Amino acid sequence: MIRLLALPIAAALLTSAAPMRPPRIVSINPCIDAVLVRVADPAQIAGISHYSQDPRATSIPLGVANRFHATSGTAEEVVALRPDMVLTGPHTEPATVAALKRLHITLVQYKVPESVAESITQVRDIATAVRHPERGAALAARIAAAATPSRATPVSALIWQSGGLVPGSGTLPDELLRRGGFRNMSAAYGLKKWDVLPLEYLIAKPPRVLLSTAAAETGEDRVTSHPAVRRLARHIAVAPYPTRLMNCGGPTIIDAMARLRQVRSGFAA
Amino acid sequence: MTRLTLWLVLALVLAACLSVASGKVWVPLDAWTAADPRSIIIVELRLPRTLLALLVGGALGLSGAVMQGYLRNPLADPGLFGVSSGAAFGAVVSLYFGYAVQLWLLPAFALAGAGVTMALLALIAGRSGSLILFTLAGMILTSITGSLTALAISLAPTPFVSSQIVTWLMGALTDRSWDDITVALPLTVVGAGLLATTARSLDALTLGEQAARSVGVDPGRLQLVVIAGTALCVGAAVASAGIIGFVGLIVPHMVRPFAGNRPSAILLPSALGGAVLLTVADSLVRLAPTVSELRLGIAMSMLGGPFFLYLLIRMRRRLA
Amino acid sequence: MSVLAAEGIGLSLDGKRILDSISHVFRRGRVTALLGPNGAGKSTLLDCLAALRKPDDGAATLDGQDVQQIDRRVRARAIGLLPQAADVHWNIDVTTLVGLGRMPHRGRWGETAADRDAVARALAATDMTGLADQGVEHLSGGERGRALLARVLAGEPDWLLADEPLASLDPGHQLDVLARLRSIADAGSGVVLVLHDLHLAARIADDAVLLRDGKVVAAGPAGDVLTAPLIAQAYGVDVEIGLTPAGHRFILPIAR
Repeated sequence: MIRLLALPIAAALLTSAAPMRPPRIVSINPCIDAVLVRVADPAQIAGISHYSQDPRATSIPLGVANRFHATSGTAEEVVALRPDMVLTGPHTEPATVAALKRLHITLVQYKVPESVAESITQVRDIATAVRHPERGAALAARIAAAATPSRATPVSALIWQSGGLVPGSGTLPDELLRRGGFRNMSAAYGLKKWDVLPLEYLIAKPPRVLLSTAAAETGEDRVTSHPAVRRLARHIAVAPYPTRLMNCGGPTIIDAMARLRQVRSGFAA
Repeated sequence: MTRLTLWLVLALVLAACLSVASGKVWVPLDAWTAADPRSIIIVELRLPRTLLALLVGGALGLSGAVMQGYLRNPLADPGLFGVSSGAAFGAVVSLYFGYAVQLWLLPAFALAGAGVTMALLALIAGRSGSLILFTLAGMILTSITGSLTALAISLAPTPFVSSQIVTWLMGALTDRSWDDITVALPLTVVGAGLLATTARSLDALTLGEQAARSVGVDPGRLQLVVIAGTALCVGAAVASAGIIGFVGLIVPHMVRPFAGNRPSAILLPSALGGAVLLTVADSLVRLAPTVSELRLGIAMSMLGGPFFLYLLIRMRRRLA
Repeated sequence: MSVLAAEGIGLSLDGKRILDSISHVFRRGRVTALLGPNGAGKSTLLDCLAALRKPDDGAATLDGQDVQQIDRRVRARAIGLLPQAADVHWNIDVTTLVGLGRMPHRGRWGETAADRDAVARALAATDMTGLADQGVEHLSGGERGRALLARVLAGEPDWLLADEPLASLDPGHQLDVLARLRSIADAGSGVVLVLHDLHLAARIADDAVLLRDGKVVAAGPAGDVLTAPLIAQAYGVDVEIGLTPAGHRFILPIAR
């Protein structure tokens, strides 16, 4: 008899113990902030990363970001905000992760997404964690739509970050390039996931398009202004590609794909 | 207790109070009781951090005083002989392979790095007691481990990992806890104890090695004690806080005008002075009006570099 | 600790034979001079006696026991060494410097009244009492030499070994130090000096050991060793030895 009652009583206790209101969230990672402001209620967001309020590093419109309280990511500031849950990325300082765990604060760490599918799954997970799965599904759908693979003939391209850092196979920017109607030249050079490209390879086998973050920010960097690269100007089109689009997955994919399609449209189908 | 020691202990207490009160979050005194959840900040975050700053600062200050006495050179720094960059490389290896997820792995790797470097140094310079061999061996070990660290950064699988490594290397006491104390405290106490035993021998070395040996100093044994003691102190410091330079270099100089020039006389004041200096610096990095804390290693370099320059200029006037 | 001896000491450095079968018994209460041209091995022999170098053959012995085997502190109390290098690495005051000589006697608990008295005596003996609080960097060459000698004296060793202790001193202070060394020997200690000045050796030495190319040319009472033929054999110079009207011995190099 007691056993029969045990299960319903337990269920009742569990549901009554769970808080009815959506959880209070602190995020200490700017990419997660970008998802959070789209899927959580503003009242739920107790804190975001200070990077989101820095115009050079943010993935959120500043007007939106400045509505929230920002922290520098230390355990002390997080504890003071009394969150139910803390969301962060994989490369948080070990001491901070350990401190939060020791203080029994629920901490969820998300990986850096390396594909569109991973990114979409992450968006859904975050939305579920903040108790708004329906918004997560909506955002996921928009991302999937934006990332619809292009049917155009792939044009050879390379994303070039300052210092010669190039994203290769197995990274999110690589997949976005492919879906945007480009072929990532990094594989042709034998580069790994993230690698530095020697200029000689670039000159020997130039891509049609060089998506340069330097071109977007400062105009030119040491490499794009290199005389050798200049001479190839007839063969290589340099298109500005803001660093902002490289930092995160999630909603940023929508903007990234828009930019990529814009660049692709400048070439023959 | 001399008057200098009393003043330093007083400064230490004040620095500790400043550190416990410092932070990006203002915790009013009435929130310090156990009932208020903000008391967690004080008990679990700021108190261990303060104690760790005192320990690390004291360890580095003492190591610096011993190194300067042992090498008979006022420009010596405990980072000179390879253990600190060896410990840093160990920690970087754990970050590189992503092992730092387990809290205790990073200090373990750092201490392993310190231990290996210490063993190599003992093997090379050994019981020879030769200063030149010791200094050169230290420089080479620093160079090798530094190159390996740079290699790890350049081979990092993603820019996020390399950024994490570089950030850790810059040194910080942010979010340290009582767990870090359980690692740092015993090592520092043993290391400091070993170093304290060198006091008389360091005094005797004022006369040069021959005369020191004639009054009973055992140079081989002294070298092993110096290596072991400094390795423990510096290894514990790096495992807790990353690379923090200049403390061992500057503090003995700041203390000498008050304590005298005898090597044994500056050991305790350097330990206390180092503790005060680092704790105050660690408080300032939290109170500075920046959004996030300035990295402690950077702050010490910014303090230490100009001070060192001022020292050189003063020495130049004396030497010229 | 009354007999310091070299027993068949041989030493090679970098393949070169520096000392070869050196045997001599040094006596307490006397000043023994180690003499010879540059490279004869004088300083190396002194180092062996002070246990700073280990001979390849033979041994330096103190009361029959190899000095390398004697406990460090016991040996440091018995043998005091004044090396040639006058390094003082930190600008400490003279009293502290001299106090370093008490290290072999110091127990766990810092300095005692006995230590302080020994330091005071050493300062008085070298005429440094007036400079007791002076920093070492402000001393002249001669004053520093005397301070370093005071350091050795403060240890009150049975044997005082000194390598060129008169080198940086002016004639007045040379005479003072010579007198001090004499009285130390007269008080019962053994004094062994490496000297390159023959006439100073003539003034102070009771015994002499004359070396050339690592071998003993002659050893014994100074009067027997410091003769023109033996000096010519060791140094390759002709000397004139004589007595001044006041009865002081002099040795003058004349020609090669």
